[in-house]
Amino acid sequence: MSDIKQLIKFISSPKVFSYTVVWLIVLVFFGTIAQKDVGLYASQVKYFSSYYFLFAGFLPLPGGRITIIIMTINLASSLFNKNLWKMKKLGIIIVHVGGLLLLIGGGITAKFSAEGNMVIKEGESSDHVDDYHDMELAFVNTSLEDSLEYTIFDAPLLGEGSSIKYDKLGIQIDIIDHIKNVRIESRISPADSIYKGFLDDFVIIPKQPDKENTQNRPGLIFKLAGTGEETDGIYGAFLGQRVPDTFEIGGELFFAEFRRKRTYLPFAIELLDFKKVMHPGTNVAKSFSSEVNLIEDKIPRRVLIQMNEPLRHKGYTFYQASFVEGLDKETTVLATVKNYGRMFPYISSIIMSIGLLIHLLFNLPKMLKRTSKRSK
Amino acid sequence: MNSFVRSIFYLLIIIFVQVASGFEIKDIPVQDEGRIKPLDTFARNHLLAFYGKRSIKELDLTATDWLMNLILDPHNGRKQKIFNVRNPDVITSLLLEWSTEHKYSFNEIAPGLTGQSAMLAGIDQKPNENRTVFEKQLLELSRNALRFEEISYLKALKLIPPGNKDSSDEWLSPYDFILTGMPMDQSQEKLLGSLQSYLAGRLAGEEQTMRIALMDYENALRSFPNKDFEIDTLEKETWMNKVNLFYISLGCYIMAFIILALSWMTQPLWLNRISFVLLVSGALLHGYGIILRMLIMGRPPVSTLYESIIFVSFIIIIFSLILEYFRKDGLGIFIGTVTGSLFHYIGFSYASDGDTLGMLVAVLNSNFWLATHVTTITMGYGASLMAGCVAHLYLLQSLRYPKDEPRLKSIFNNLYGITLVALFFTLFGTILGGIWADQSWGRFWGWDPKENGALLIVLWQLMMIHMRLSGIAKRSEFALGMGLNNIIVALAWFGVNLLQVGLHSYGFDDGVARNLFIFIAFEIVICFGLYFLPKLRTKPNIT
Repeated sequence: MSDIKQLIKFISSPKVFSYTVVWLIVLVFFGTIAQKDVGLYASQVKYFSSYYFLFAGFLPLPGGRITIIIMTINLASSLFNKNLWKMKKLGIIIVHVGGLLLLIGGGITAKFSAEGNMVIKEGESSDHVDDYHDMELAFVNTSLEDSLEYTIFDAPLLGEGSSIKYDKLGIQIDIIDHIKNVRIESRISPADSIYKGFLDDFVIIPKQPDKENTQNRPGLIFKLAGTGEETDGIYGAFLGQRVPDTFEIGGELFFAEFRRKRTYLPFAIELLDFKKVMHPGTNVAKSFSSEVNLIEDKIPRRVLIQMNEPLRHKGYTFYQASFVEGLDKETTVLATVKNYGRMFPYISSIIMSIGLLIHLLFNLPKMLKRTSKRSK
Repeated sequence: MNSFVRSIFYLLIIIFVQVASGFEIKDIPVQDEGRIKPLDTFARNHLLAFYGKRSIKELDLTATDWLMNLILDPHNGRKQKIFNVRNPDVITSLLLEWSTEHKYSFNEIAPGLTGQSAMLAGIDQKPNENRTVFEKQLLELSRNALRFEEISYLKALKLIPPGNKDSSDEWLSPYDFILTGMPMDQSQEKLLGSLQSYLAGRLAGEEQTMRIALMDYENALRSFPNKDFEIDTLEKETWMNKVNLFYISLGCYIMAFIILALSWMTQPLWLNRISFVLLVSGALLHGYGIILRMLIMGRPPVSTLYESIIFVSFIIIIFSLILEYFRKDGLGIFIGTVTGSLFHYIGFSYASDGDTLGMLVAVLNSNFWLATHVTTITMGYGASLMAGCVAHLYLLQSLRYPKDEPRLKSIFNNLYGITLVALFFTLFGTILGGIWADQSWGRFWGWDPKENGALLIVLWQLMMIHMRLSGIAKRSEFALGMGLNNIIVALAWFGVNLLQVGLHSYGFDDGVARNLFIFIAFEIVICFGLYFLPKLRTKPNIT
């Protein structure tokens, strides 16, 4: 019994908290500096969203997640400390409960949230969200009478050297190369006959990846087998490809599309009008807004999405994030988030500030006096 | 205490009786850089950009006078040495002789600029970070020269509000009407007519005509349909330009400091009182300056870096006053006057960039979040720096009076209390920032440099408090840590901008980076020096 008490006492010690905070400070400091070189996303993945990372290539050090998990355990067990449960420490107790809620909420968000972009041109509509980072390979069957049939190969399957055997179509795909950022150039000499589709005339060349992942144009080179002698061979695909490669599988016509991973929504959004207002006589934007129709069960509802005023619907939130200017029609970019823990910060910040205020009200006046303990 | 109340009362009178001089030419509204401002501000900012100062002292000309002279007599205005060019390379490229006054007239620089128009077009195409210092300055000079010309024939002066039929909120210049023959409605015609008769009167030197014309102008403005400006606000701004409250509050702080120093040397209590009254007066003027800016722009106190500096120093002054109220030994006055003066001085160097009342980009254009998050976090900066100052003081006093336990203990209690207050504001401000981010672009926390900077301050303070509670840190270690907290605040406040914007504005940020580096080095030396010195001194006694 006393062993357990000892253990709790150790785990809940403010010393443990102090040292984890020191480590977190180090992580935040270097993680922020690193953003200048590797970009925000890469640094976040390495230092903050990781359980551990390798320092100088060989030394494993605890990452942000482990550090915050230790902090959470420490905080939770500190609430079992009997010394804490006194009236004059009421404020302290409340602050710590609030802090615990904040950390738990952060954990839920980190685990379950999803975010992406919805890109819509004026007059068009969309019912899916594009992932910021993950890609997918789609084989689209165009031979069906009144619909398109999509076969999707997800990001985890598309690593370099992996092999996908898909019995339903009787094909095998071997990933030769998955490149973060590419450019396309014409071939100088005629291609080997193993290259099919646009690779017959062009080559995919790796390019220095940009710090910001969304600026990159990823490309994929894969070997297709099992479709017949004519069409078996090496194909290429890249993001934003205008003319996709086509091939026949079992007498049906397919095309390949390499695109951002899509998540389909139970409703669609149609962009009616995108508006950009500038401060008069300047190039500084005053506001952006998208007038949209939220279409559910074929019933449209008019909504205005603007800066600081997102649309929330069925657990999804759409924010005015960016836009693309076109010749006649503009394109809006709505950042889309599905977040489960979003109420936690609101609640915990209120709890924590109440706690701190109580503590300050009880203690501050005596801390500020010059003659606090002179009588002793 | 009676004298104290009385002096405050007089001060309030000075503040609120803003000498009612009526509507003047410098009060007339003009739209520039996205907002409607009095002609006075317009003229000051342009003179600052061209000439480097907000008035021409040698000729005893205010900015508005200079502008009027230029409009009425462009021929002589172009001969006036008004352009401040300090780069010798630029001078040489303009085929001019180097002068130690660095001042050149429009007629002198114009031929050189026209000769290099092909090169200027090339520089204009380049992204800013690829331009050399020479290219940047030449481009700026050419833009200024163009602007000068546009002012001289009234094109840059957007004095006339859009009429009823116009849907745009862009104002028009007299040039638009007179030279391009744009049709005008009745109220626009009235404005333009009275402006013409004012200018004619000014040219002929007829005071009476000018006065009547201005009255007509004011009436025309007041009866303008759907107007998006208030004449009172414009008058407030010209008054603020003229009085320059922050210079006066700086004067108060410096005087308070000198008198406090005197009172420490000679020790009469009444000197201490005067010093306190001066600090309070400075704070009142300082606060009133902030309130005026809020009234003019219709937005919360902090929305730009310049405003954050002014506001942080105000917060520190407030905390100093509270501390002084409790302690009554001059410690609060000392911290308040030193930091208040210092921050005013830093603020002035930022103000020299031009209009300090600039417009905001879209995402910041939300009064509610600016008011809550930015104000809270800026108060957190202020409270943290205040804690840092008290920490320095603790270290200093423990060097001077290592045996005086009650004195040290009471300062330490102050330090701990202010640290808790600072934690309250930084923690709450950081979370509010997260909530704003959640409201605006969908994630509470994105490990963005600005967010991380604020988080670092919170973590640092949490670390110090828990180290103290767990006994890892004793009093002097706690003070050392909170002294070093100043570095974290400076990094979060200024350093983060460097990391992000570092590529965009080179020359400007170089200076900030250097100053930041000097500050960090200074703090490290001071904090560790004060921390280790007493230990070195006590060692020989033990052995």
